[in-house]
Amino acid sequence: MGGMMYSERELLIIVIIGTIALLSTITLLIVLNKAWREAREAIARRRRRILEPDVFRYVGAADTRTIREFLALPMSNGDSRLVEGILLDMAALVKGESRDRITAACEAVGLVARTIEGLKSRRWWKRAESAEKLGVMRSQQAVEPLVQVMNDPMGEVRIRAARALGLIRGSTSIRPLVLALADPSRWSAIRVAEILIGVGEDAVQELLQGYDSLPQHARVSVLDVLGRIRTPRAASLLRKALKDPNDDARARAAHAMGLIADPLFTDDLIGALKDGHWAVRAQAAKALGRMDARKAIPPIAALLGDREWWARSNAGDALRVLGPPGREALVKSLDAADIYARHQAVSQLQEGGIIDEYVSDLGSPETARREAAVQFIRKVIALQRIDHLSQQAVEHTQASVRKALLGILKRVPEGAS
Amino acid sequence: MTPREFLGQFVLTFNDVVLYYFGTLNAFYIILFLVSLYEVVRYVRRTFFSDYEQILRSEMTWPISVIVPAHNESRTIVETIRSLLSINYGQFEVIVVNDGSADDTLQKVVKTFELKLTDRIYRRTLPTGDVRGIYASLEIRNLLVVDKVRGGKADALNTGINVSRYPLYCSVDADSIIEDNALLRVVKPFMEHPDEMVAAGGIVRIANGCKVRDGRVVEIGLPRRMLPIYQVVEYLRAFLSGRIGWSSLRSLLIISGAFGLYRKSEVIAVGGYDRWSQTEDLELVLKLHESLRRQKRRYRIVFVPDPVCWTEVPSKFRVLARQRNRWHRGLVQSLWRHRRMMFNPRYGVIGWVAMPYFVLFELFGPFVEILGYVTVLLAWILGLLNLDFFLLFLIFSIFFGIFLSISAVLLEEISFRRYPGWQHLAMLVLAGVFENFGFRQLLSLFKVKAFWDYLWRRKTWGRMEREGFRQAPPPAARPSSAAPVTSAPR
Repeated sequence: MGGMMYSERELLIIVIIGTIALLSTITLLIVLNKAWREAREAIARRRRRILEPDVFRYVGAADTRTIREFLALPMSNGDSRLVEGILLDMAALVKGESRDRITAACEAVGLVARTIEGLKSRRWWKRAESAEKLGVMRSQQAVEPLVQVMNDPMGEVRIRAARALGLIRGSTSIRPLVLALADPSRWSAIRVAEILIGVGEDAVQELLQGYDSLPQHARVSVLDVLGRIRTPRAASLLRKALKDPNDDARARAAHAMGLIADPLFTDDLIGALKDGHWAVRAQAAKALGRMDARKAIPPIAALLGDREWWARSNAGDALRVLGPPGREALVKSLDAADIYARHQAVSQLQEGGIIDEYVSDLGSPETARREAAVQFIRKVIALQRIDHLSQQAVEHTQASVRKALLGILKRVPEGAS
Repeated sequence: MTPREFLGQFVLTFNDVVLYYFGTLNAFYIILFLVSLYEVVRYVRRTFFSDYEQILRSEMTWPISVIVPAHNESRTIVETIRSLLSINYGQFEVIVVNDGSADDTLQKVVKTFELKLTDRIYRRTLPTGDVRGIYASLEIRNLLVVDKVRGGKADALNTGINVSRYPLYCSVDADSIIEDNALLRVVKPFMEHPDEMVAAGGIVRIANGCKVRDGRVVEIGLPRRMLPIYQVVEYLRAFLSGRIGWSSLRSLLIISGAFGLYRKSEVIAVGGYDRWSQTEDLELVLKLHESLRRQKRRYRIVFVPDPVCWTEVPSKFRVLARQRNRWHRGLVQSLWRHRRMMFNPRYGVIGWVAMPYFVLFELFGPFVEILGYVTVLLAWILGLLNLDFFLLFLIFSIFFGIFLSISAVLLEEISFRRYPGWQHLAMLVLAGVFENFGFRQLLSLFKVKAFWDYLWRRKTWGRMEREGFRQAPPPAARPSSAAPVTSAPR
């Protein structure tokens, strides 16, 4: 054992020196990092101001000259990166011919080729960044490499590639997007769904064809996408999905039908109001309200007494938006046998401002209207929902209304709140 | 053995214990810092392109109920609600729960937002104090104000949960400001791992010294007084070095009550917030861990370093003492209540690492520190003090403390860079040095006192006295560089 032995004191001194050295290094690192970053940013800002006018002139030009003919060549690596940055920034802002000129410039300066190379990087964030940039460049040269990247092990890379393909469009890019809906991450699936919605009708055929081969969670996304594209071409698939054994699929199909709002869906949705799962009943009610399906008012009103809160709430919402017949059904529901239905009706009548209208009718010169208002308000009071009425009795602008309302409220039974 | 000899033996043994204790604690700190450094770099890389625009636009993004418990918040409540109503998020509702305020909090809100008493129906899933009324507006459909009898913050949050409609809820303190994109950022883990996510917390930053206009932080600055500046460094250390590390070890025990997003069904399943707890946020997270681990579920409770909630911290020692007293009493309460998790294999890393760490270092750390000072004094009186060694050890502990603080500043500087100026950086570094001379020792004293109070069952909430945010002048009088926080350099 020929090693040196340190005393406790010496050991402590070494540790102190080490800590001070570490501390100094970190402090220096902070300062240098900040100084370096700020200096780089300042230089880049200055160079960018010089380079930008040339790039702008190229994008705005109407001739066939390439971007190289507008720039002072040869450029340093830093300037090349800045030009790339300017092109990518502009790509997000311009459309039409200028947009095409940017794509051509990206191809001409080798940016597309370099970025495609970046898709092979060992670092996942480099691959993701490359995919994102290729989407902005919108070069057709990138479609095939991006389709290959859709099998990348990193979700973040796959999603950037999907987005890029969605931006480039073209039929070759839609199928991998539909398949990407099967991505296990809900967030990835959402982003792919948004891309497909952006593609619109062009994506419908692939969605319809791909539906059966997708796993359950992806099928649900397909139903959402079809609904949000609002395509009538999805009618038969949605009808089939409304009978799917999976609860979520049925609920999404009902939701999608409401978005498409084809009156031919009315009977299917009325049938779905009796579904065994509450989410399907709730979505069917919402969809029927959205479709303005007056024929569905009686079964929706029956749903006000549903054992599930969301189904009752959506039924109430639907009746409220179904115009005067819906309102009438809500008023009738104040006499329903089911207490939940009565309470939901009060809530919806209040939210729709209908209770306020009846309260104002207390000051009407027409006796019939006044009496109808009194009858209505008594029903609400009988349900012990008097918070809103009590406030109106104090704050209503018409003194006669306040007085009449106070008179009715004075006869409130014990326990009303 | 004479009493003097016994005392001498005790002092020497204690000194040895302290040395080992100090070594273990600092090893923990270094590991946490390294894990945090790795995670921060990873997080920054992951977010080099933001997807927030997509989350915002997507109809498939989960809607959120923002619950704001308010008790005597008349000074700030209107500004807070305005700020919340204007955040960037698709579908959300703001539920303000007036918890029996003695001031005009309710009247102010009702008048400003023209609210009307409604007969809204809701499920009383969690038991709460009586609700006196629910106010809503036909104009602002996503604002609801619940007026209830005083029952404490936990009771107010439970009431908010009962009234809320959406599957996720976000608890926000009435005196805090959340940034425009904070909900978009904090909901992202829920979108990425929908089956596992249970709760997510965001970073809390200090608003003292920042300029606020219309409920938004428009210019970031540091406070003028040293006490809040020390707390800026302390918060950076706690959030960037601490919570990021614990989160990546899947052992995050605290989600700040000022800003946290939860899956409602899971919170209801564990009975919601506990009224008896002094720190209902810590208690809730511990309950969730205990319940989910017992069920052997795969779940995530995470810290997201980017969503920012700005809050005011005490600028007076008296107020700081009260606040820390309550926090520490809450820690004692909750750790004691969940003691069965300690060293229990069923609770994994939480039972073997996080809980022992919190008991050993967070709970008893202040005692060891204060006792350390006493024994040094005793050793000196008894003539046992090795002055040379003591001074070297003191120097080491001070430099190590500074190292930890400066490390937190480094994490901030390589990641979020919310404090843009050189003067900010200089102040933070200086505060990281000076806080080791008095401030940290004072915090230990507050905690020892809190333990004492807990044993004697002294309970006070520790009311925060606020000075209010620094109001920025109206836009016309401001230079054009005054950008909102969301566009601050990152």
